Amino acid sequence: MLSESVFCLLTEDLLIRILDRVNSDRKSLRLVCKEFHRVESTTRKTIRILRIEFLLGLLQKYCNIESLDLSVCPRIDDGAVSVLLSHGSVNWTRRIKRLVLSRATGLGYVGLEMLIRACPLLEAVDVSHCCGYGDREASALSCAVRLKELNMDKCLGVTDIGLAKIAVGCSKLESLSLKWCLEISDLGIDLLSKKCLELKFLDVSYLKVTSESLRSIASLLKLEVFIMVGCYLVDDVGLRFLEKGCPLLKAIDVSRCNCVSPSGLLSVISGHEGLEQMDARYCLSELSAPLINGLKNLNHLNIIRINGVRVSDFILQIIGTNCKSLVELGLSKCIGVTNMGIMQVVSGCGNLKTLDLTCCRSITDVAISTIANSCPNLACLKLESCDMVTEVGLYQLGLSCLMLEELDLTDCSGVNDIALKYISRCSELVRLKLGLCTNISDIGLAHIACNCTKLTELDLYRCVRIGDDGLAALATGCNKLTMLNLSYCNRMTDTGLKCISNLGELSDLELRAIPNITSIGIKAVAINCKRLANLDLKHCEKINDSGFWALAFYAQNLLQINMSYCNVSDHVLCLLMSNLKRLQDAKLVHLTNVTVQGLELALRSCCGRIKKVKLQSSLRFSISSEILETFNARGCKIRWD
Amino acid sequence: MNPTGSLCANNWARSSSLVPPGNGLQTNLSLDPSSFFGVGIETPFKEINQPSPTQCVIPGESKKDVKITDQETSKLQDWDPSAMLNNLSFLEEKIHQLQDVVHMIVNKKFQPFEQPRELVTQEQQLITADLTSIIVQLISTAGSLLPSVRNTVANTSPLIGQLSQLRGINLPFGTGTSSGIQPQNNCENKLFDHSIQNDVPNKCEMEQNHNMEEHEHKDEEDMEEGENLPPGSYEILQLEKEEILAPHTHFCTICGKGFKRDANLRMHMRGHGDEYKTPAALAKPHKETGSEPKLIKRYSCPYGGCKRNKDHKKFQPLKTILCVKNHYKRTHCDKSYTCSRCHTKKFSVIADLKTHEKHCGKDKWLCSCGTTFSRKDKLFGHIALFQGHTPAIPLEENKGLAEPPDRCDAKENSTMVGSMNFCFGSNPSSENGIDNMMDVKGNIDDPINYFSSLNFEGCNFGAFNEFSQPPFEDSDSSFSFLMSGSFNYAPKSGGESCSDNL
Repeated sequence: MLSESVFCLLTEDLLIRILDRVNSDRKSLRLVCKEFHRVESTTRKTIRILRIEFLLGLLQKYCNIESLDLSVCPRIDDGAVSVLLSHGSVNWTRRIKRLVLSRATGLGYVGLEMLIRACPLLEAVDVSHCCGYGDREASALSCAVRLKELNMDKCLGVTDIGLAKIAVGCSKLESLSLKWCLEISDLGIDLLSKKCLELKFLDVSYLKVTSESLRSIASLLKLEVFIMVGCYLVDDVGLRFLEKGCPLLKAIDVSRCNCVSPSGLLSVISGHEGLEQMDARYCLSELSAPLINGLKNLNHLNIIRINGVRVSDFILQIIGTNCKSLVELGLSKCIGVTNMGIMQVVSGCGNLKTLDLTCCRSITDVAISTIANSCPNLACLKLESCDMVTEVGLYQLGLSCLMLEELDLTDCSGVNDIALKYISRCSELVRLKLGLCTNISDIGLAHIACNCTKLTELDLYRCVRIGDDGLAALATGCNKLTMLNLSYCNRMTDTGLKCISNLGELSDLELRAIPNITSIGIKAVAINCKRLANLDLKHCEKINDSGFWALAFYAQNLLQINMSYCNVSDHVLCLLMSNLKRLQDAKLVHLTNVTVQGLELALRSCCGRIKKVKLQSSLRFSISSEILETFNARGCKIRWD
Repeated sequence: MNPTGSLCANNWARSSSLVPPGNGLQTNLSLDPSSFFGVGIETPFKEINQPSPTQCVIPGESKKDVKITDQETSKLQDWDPSAMLNNLSFLEEKIHQLQDVVHMIVNKKFQPFEQPRELVTQEQQLITADLTSIIVQLISTAGSLLPSVRNTVANTSPLIGQLSQLRGINLPFGTGTSSGIQPQNNCENKLFDHSIQNDVPNKCEMEQNHNMEEHEHKDEEDMEEGENLPPGSYEILQLEKEEILAPHTHFCTICGKGFKRDANLRMHMRGHGDEYKTPAALAKPHKETGSEPKLIKRYSCPYGGCKRNKDHKKFQPLKTILCVKNHYKRTHCDKSYTCSRCHTKKFSVIADLKTHEKHCGKDKWLCSCGTTFSRKDKLFGHIALFQGHTPAIPLEENKGLAEPPDRCDAKENSTMVGSMNFCFGSNPSSENGIDNMMDVKGNIDDPINYFSSLNFEGCNFGAFNEFSQPPFEDSDSSFSFLMSGSFNYAPKSGGESCSDNL
C-alpha cells in the first residue's frame, strides 16, 4: 500500500526514467505495480509477439507500439492479417514504423500488401528468410512509400522485376539488403542505383552481379556501407568504378569475391580516405605491400578482416605501424601468423577490442601474453584451435584483460582446469566457448561458475570430463545462462539435468547424444525452464514417452526441437506436435517407434503453424503427397535427410 | 468415287484451260520473291467472299483498285470483248454445273438411309471450293471489265484522262493543275475520315508511335545513304495517294490480273497465247537508249504538311518509290493489319506486321503503362527513364507457360492449318475423306495454282498469309488454304482482318 502511493507521487516521466534504468526487470515491475503497468503500456515502443492468440490483445493494450516483431509468431498468414486488420479499431497500425516479418513464410503477397497498406508510417521492414517470396511480395512491399530500411535476405524468388518495383515504389530507401536474392542481376542493381539515391547501406552478397553493377553503384553519392560477399563475377574493373564513386563510403566488404585482387582493393582504398571498415575475407591469396601501404592514409580505419589470407611478419608489422586506431582485427585462418607477427601488430594497435586468431595454430603463450599486455581493452578474443595456448598465456590474459566479454577456446587442448581458474578472473565474461577442451573437469568449471556470474553463453561441447558436480556449480553461479551446450558430455546424468533446470533464463539447451539422461531429467527441465525455446535431444535414446509428454505439456515456449533418433511413440509425437503452439522447426529423423501414419498425423496436427521440418528421405514417397503439398502451400519447408 | 467428284474434276480441268500450266505460273511467282513482302496493300479476304463483282467496290481500297486499273490499262489501250465473253460463258456453265451438283445432293437427302457423316462434309467442301473458284473468276473478270467503263468516263473529261495518264508514266508532278487534283483530294479526305473512325485508342498507342518513329528513321537512313543533294540537282516526283496505295500497277488486259512488276505481267501474258511468247513481246518495251544525262530522281510525299512533301520548308525527299510507299502507309494511313497473335499491335505495312509476328509472343516484358518489350534491358531502360513506371507482374505466375493462353490458341490455330495434310493422314475415321481429298488435289492442281496466284496478286487472302510463312511456295500450302477455308479456319481470321478494316 505504502509503496504504491510512493509511485503515485512520481510524475510519469520519472517513472519512465526508472523503467529505463531497470531494463531487464521491466516485466516484474509492471506485474506488481499498477503505475508501472500504466506507464509501460503507454510508452512501450517495441513488441515481439510469441503467440498469435495474444497478438490482438497486446496490440490493443500497448497502443503506442512502433516496432512489431512477428518473426517467431506462428500462424501469421493472410487470413490472420485480414482478421487483425478488420478487427474493430485498427489504430495500432497507424503508428507502426517497423515490421519484422522474418521467416513469416505463411504470409503471402495479399496479406503482406494489406498489412503494409494499413501502416502509413512504415519505415522499416524485415522479410529476410522468407524463401518463397518473389516479385509479387516485392510488389506488395513497394506500397510502403516511406520505407527507409528493407531486409530481403534470402527472398529467393525476387527477380529484377521485383527489385524494380521496390526501387520505383520506395525511392526513400536508405538501407537495403539483398543477400541471397539470387535472381537479381545487373539490370536490377542498375535501376536501383538510378531510383534510390538516398541509399546508405547496400548488401548485394552472393548475387550474380558483375562489375557493371559496381559502375551503377558508384553513382550512389550517399552510400556508406557496401557489402558484396561472394560476388564471384566482380573483378578489379568493378572496384575501380568505386574509386571515383560513392564519396561517403565508410565500409566495404569484398569477402569471397574470388576475382578481386589487392590492386582492385587498393583502388577503392585510395579513393576513400574516410574508410572505416575493410573486409576481404577469403578473397585474396596474399596481401600486397602497396595495399598495406595504402592503408597508411586511412586514419579512420577501425576494422580489418582478412581471414584466410597469407600474411607475413612484415605485413603484420606494417598494419601495426600504420593502423593505430584499429579496433578489430580478423586474422582467422590466415597462413603465416607467428608469435612475432602478432607481437608486432598488437604493439601498434593498443586499442584493439576484438582479435580473431581462429586456427592460427602456430601462436603460443608468448603471443597471448603480449596481447594481454598490449591490449587492456580487449573484449573479444578468439583462439579456436590454437593448440599451443596453455594456462601460462591465459594467466596473463586473466590478469590484464578484465574487460574481456567473449573468449573462444574451442579445441584448445592446452586448456585445463588451472587455465580456467585464471580465466575466471575475467569477471565480465559473457560468452565462453570451451568445446572440445577435453582436459577440463568439474573443478575448472566450478571456478568459472563462481566468478563469471555474467555468463550467458557457455559451450561445453564434448567436454567429456564434465559431470554432474560441475553442472551443479554452474547452476548456482551462472544463473543468467541463456545458452548452454552440453552435447556429448556423456558423464552427465539426470542429477546434472535437474541442476540445469534451475537456470530460469535458459532458452537454448543442447543435450545431443547423452546416453544417461532420461525422462525424469527432461521433465524437470520442461517444467522449470520456462523460456526454453531451442532443445536438441538427438540420440538421447533413454528418454521415453513420458519425457516427451512432459515437454508437450510444459515447454510451451519451445520454438525448435531436434528429436531425431529418439524413442517416441506415435501417440506422444502427435501430442507434442499439436500441443506446442510455438513450435516452428522440428527435426524428426529416424524415429524408430513412429509409423508413417503416426508421422502423418503429427504433421497434420502442426500444419499451418510449423515452418520447417526435417524428415528421413526414405519417407519421401511414403508420406501422402497431399500433406507435402499443404506444407508447401503454407510456406513450410521440408528438408529431407 | 461419286458423280460429284468427277463433275468437280471436270470443272477444274476447264478452268485450267484459261491459264497457263500451273508450273509455269508457279515459277512466274517464284521469280518475284519481293512481291510478297512488297508494299502493295492487300485486300482482305472478305472481298473474295463477295457474291458479285459489283459489291466489290465498297471499301476504300477496292475503289483505289479500280482507279489504278484505269490508269494502267488506259496505257494498254483496248480490252478484248471476246475474251470477256469467253470468261462469262465459262462462268455461266460452271454455275450450272454447281447447281446440278447441289440438286443431286438435295435429291440424295430423300433417300431412305442416312448418309455417312464424312460424305456430307466432303460434299460441302467440294461445293465451297467450287464457289470460291467462281467468285475468284468473277472478280478477275470484273477486273478486266471495270477499266473499260472507266475509260469511257475518262474520255468524256479529257483533262482528267490526260492527267491520269501523265501520272501513270511518272512525269514530274509540277505540271499538274489544281482542277485535276481536286477529285482525288476529296477521295483522300474521305479516306482519312474513315481512318479516323478506325483509330480506336488503345494502350499500345505509344509503342506504335515508337514503331512508327523507328520506321521513319529507317526511311531517313534510306535517304541519307543517297547523300545530301542540293535542291534542284534532282528531279522531284510525286506519286498520288492512289498510286501509292495501289497493290498493283500492271494489269493483264485479257484476264485483268494485276502485277507489281511489268516483267511479271509479261511473263504472265505468255499464257494467253503464242503471240506473247515472242522475244519482242517479252523484251522490255522501251529501253531508253537516250544519251542525255538523266537527273537523279527523288520522291515527294503527296500528304500536305508532311516533311517529305515538297512544299515543306525543310523538305527531305524520299529516295525510292518503295520509300514513298512505306512512308506514306506508315505515316499517313491507319494501321489495318493487326497481329494475329497479340491482337493489339497494328501495322499499316504488311512487311512490318511480318517482322513483328516473328517476334510477337516474345514480348514478355511488360511495363505498368502497358508498353511491352522483347528485351528485359529495354524495359529497364524505359523504367529508368519514366518517373513512376514499374514493371508489371503477369497475372498468372506459371513459369512453365511463357505465353498467355490466347496466344497459344492463335499459335495452335496456325499450326493446325499448316499441318492439315498430316492431320488427314493420321485420322483413320475419315479414310474415305482422305482419298477424296487426294483425288481432288490431284485433279485440281492447276486451278489451285491459278487461284493462289490470284489470291496473291489480285485480292490477297490476308488471313491466309498468316498461316504459311513462305506463301504459296508449293501447291500444298494453297491446298491447305482451301482446306482451311472449308474447315472454317480462314473465314474466322479473315473476318478479323475485315473488322480491322472497318
